[in-house]
Amino acid sequence: MNTTPQQLVDTLSGLSLFADLSRPQLEQVAHKLSEESFPEGQRILRQGFSGTGFYVILEGEVAIRIDGKEVARLAKGDFFGEMSVLLGEPPVADVVALRQLHVLHLGGPDLEGFLREHPTVMFRMLRTVALRLRNASRWRS
Amino acid sequence: MPISEEEKSAALSRVPLFEGVSEESMTRLSAVTGEVEFGARQFIVTQGQVGSGLYIIVSGAARVVSGSHELARFGPGDFFGELAVIDQQPRVASVQAVENTVCLALASWDLLELLKHDPTLSQNLIRGLAARLRSTSEHHRH
Repeated sequence: MNTTPQQLVDTLSGLSLFADLSRPQLEQVAHKLSEESFPEGQRILRQGFSGTGFYVILEGEVAIRIDGKEVARLAKGDFFGEMSVLLGEPPVADVVALRQLHVLHLGGPDLEGFLREHPTVMFRMLRTVALRLRNASRWRS
Repeated sequence: MPISEEEKSAALSRVPLFEGVSEESMTRLSAVTGEVEFGARQFIVTQGQVGSGLYIIVSGAARVVSGSHELARFGPGDFFGELAVIDQQPRVASVQAVENTVCLALASWDLLELLKHDPTLSQNLIRGLAARLRSTSEHHRH
């Protein structure tokens, strides 16, 4: 699916990860991250294999599977891949497209610089990771 | 006697959230960390309210309550609201001072303000949380 830069900026402005960004900053984001599409059933990240970057879901849904067992689902506005990139370790889960998936992709080596340029995005990411940890700890207990 | 910056910094550095944070960032964190005193039976945080901060008990004692159940007791060195300071979720339990209790308090808006100007601190926090999340998933697996 092809979107115009204008449409992409509109879509980004509706995602909570980018909610604090101005229009020109959203344009920078749209320019910096590349759009990618995956068919239903495609594995985007593979458990145990080296990481391939940071993804923000624009449309579609993915399943997070650990050892074949689904532990979570992510949809529009959610992101994945940041853990492997930030920790420099292979993904601990498979991420599989449940239907046609449209994402924004940023290569691993560029994530750190991107987050430093956009501290509010980093804070929102931090908040999401804290929430995930809270939920994960709840499952365990 | 007021708590020194060094003591504040030392207390903060024992909270897992701040593991691996540089000394420089810890100094900034302790500068915005205040001292708050609660009288006996006063509530430090209330169940259901949005978490607005991290508390570390310096002296005194507190009890963790959910409804009419006491879940735990806290004493000096114990902390709570570690994740609430970041994700601002509703508190899952109340914490009530049992006696006169002094806490160090870090407000989430002060932390947010710091994070805006200290990307290294944000990065350290995300890395730390990601590593804990990862070890949780691994624990989950085995």
